[in-house]
Amino acid sequence: MAPRESTRTPRAVLACGEIRTCLLPARQALDIRAAAQLLALRADERALTSERPGLYARSSDTLTGVDCPLPSANGARVRAVGTVAARAALTEGRVLQTSARFHLPATGPDRRRPWGEYLVRPGVVEPLGKLPHEAVAQGVLGGGRTGDLDAGLIAEGLLTRLLRHPLLDQRPPFRSRPTRLRWAALPAAPGEGFRLERFTLAEDELRTVRLRVPEDTPAAGLAALCEDLALHDWLLTTVVRMLDGVRLGTGAARDTGAVVRTLRPAVDHLLHLWMPRARVSPELAALWDPLEERPGFTRQWRTLVQRIRDQLTLHAIPTPHQEVEPVP
Amino acid sequence: MLVFAASDKGGTGRSVTSANLAYQRALTGDHVAYVDFDFGSPTAAAVFDVPGAMRGTEERGLHSYLEGEVAEPARIDVWRQTEHPLLRARPNQSGRLVLFPGDAGGGEFAIGEESLQRCIDLLLRLNGEFDVTVVDLSAGRSYAVDMVLAATAHPRMRNVPFRWLVFHRWTRQHVIAASGLVHADHGIIGGGVERGHDKEALEAAIRFVRAAVPDPESPLWSQGSPAQAAWMQACDEALRRLAAEHAIGDSVVLGIVPLEPILQWREQLITEEDVLATQIANKETLEALEEIARRLTDDAHWGRP
Repeated sequence: MAPRESTRTPRAVLACGEIRTCLLPARQALDIRAAAQLLALRADERALTSERPGLYARSSDTLTGVDCPLPSANGARVRAVGTVAARAALTEGRVLQTSARFHLPATGPDRRRPWGEYLVRPGVVEPLGKLPHEAVAQGVLGGGRTGDLDAGLIAEGLLTRLLRHPLLDQRPPFRSRPTRLRWAALPAAPGEGFRLERFTLAEDELRTVRLRVPEDTPAAGLAALCEDLALHDWLLTTVVRMLDGVRLGTGAARDTGAVVRTLRPAVDHLLHLWMPRARVSPELAALWDPLEERPGFTRQWRTLVQRIRDQLTLHAIPTPHQEVEPVP
Repeated sequence: MLVFAASDKGGTGRSVTSANLAYQRALTGDHVAYVDFDFGSPTAAAVFDVPGAMRGTEERGLHSYLEGEVAEPARIDVWRQTEHPLLRARPNQSGRLVLFPGDAGGGEFAIGEESLQRCIDLLLRLNGEFDVTVVDLSAGRSYAVDMVLAATAHPRMRNVPFRWLVFHRWTRQHVIAASGLVHADHGIIGGGVERGHDKEALEAAIRFVRAAVPDPESPLWSQGSPAQAAWMQACDEALRRLAAEHAIGDSVVLGIVPLEPILQWREQLITEEDVLATQIANKETLEALEEIARRLTDDAHWGRP
């Protein structure tokens, strides 16, 4: 007998989510036990922790029930009902991320079902009727109207909750800005594999990622890939800004301490975090390749690291060169 | 560093002066947030000349944020969104200058535990992101003052440094009122102690800014009669004595802003251009603002009086 329409797991045609990435506001990085304590969001489940290739902890999923219109680029109002899954991760006890995600089937029933039927499919949001998935993907990436389904709000709520944790002493070792990364994964053409269609830096701290993936790629894996992208993009952004804040050259030579003070936190807290693809499944890891080629994330990172090391070396040397510099 | 700007009365130039301090700090390379907690009459949009950017933030301002209606308050990047032609050309090596506007038409409101927690969330996040956060508070012993006193006394904020600037004009009434705001039974210090602040530490974190002070030596008054000059001198003396008697004497003054038409009438940021090119602002005013901005983080000016 064919399964009843209402309980069949529909095929997903769109997965999306949003990730917040920020520096953990604590003077010392959390060790793996403290990290697990911070990320114990549910009494019945422990956070996942791993120590290779770096310290990493991830909470179990929490679910948020939603019943609201989907954002869409063409103004179509499609109501959707279901649950959004959210989780938090801490890398090297230093970089905190919260990530909310959901996926959508191509069609849903015309009327809302009993709530229990949504609860058995965590992270699935079902449209009432047919899903205009291209328009919705564009709507998600562009940001919806007030009241539309917004994974960013759910990620933000989880982040706020974690930042109130008594483990945190609220003494960040340096000033930094959080970033937001919105992503949407649309179905690839039949026979085609995974493809990164677009990665954009919008505004100052918003990034958007548009993917093409074979149907039924698990949303959790896609979220893990995007969390990895968000983490490394945040590292680049943060270190670039740190170097931006340093006044180099002769004018600054009078205060060499300032350069060391500004760059030291990068060495203490960030330089060892670069490890792209470490937590990405093998078939999704290839999605990193275009970014490595152009603009070349790792290439830029290496250059930044080298610049920081050069600056620190320069400032470690007593400065006889000051004497021979021409006086303006 | 959090800097709270308070005043007993309106019309003391608190908003416009604190906005100018924020601007001056950004020019020196600091990342600066300006938070408009002047719930009664938000004016920051005019000072930073961002009326266009304010459209669409009416329901996403700080008021809505504190009441839990939006998850994050609206922010306006001043360099990018200002309509002031001189500010648009963001000077090289300057830091970010971000305005957190209040809601249009949002009045004073009582604070509950949840708004207090949200206020703490916001101040902690700003402290992690900006070098200096200037918080402009509604005049008097307002809910805004209560809220930040409670927030800064909260254990979550124990490691966040803060300072208070109390603005007042240089008249008898304003001197007495400013002293009352800080030292009266339920003033900032009394109210702070009630909420768990240490009296001495709080006292040491409060400095006064005298605004719109006519300088008897200024060329502005050089046309006056000798009698006028002598009278001004005497009044100035008397006010100094009065201020000292009310525990707001020179030792707790962070700076003095001269009487400046551009601050009084136009309520805008004073740029170097206003002083050098168009000469509509006085050089002394700009220098006073630069000096106060510098002293904000200079511990030598924040020793115990």
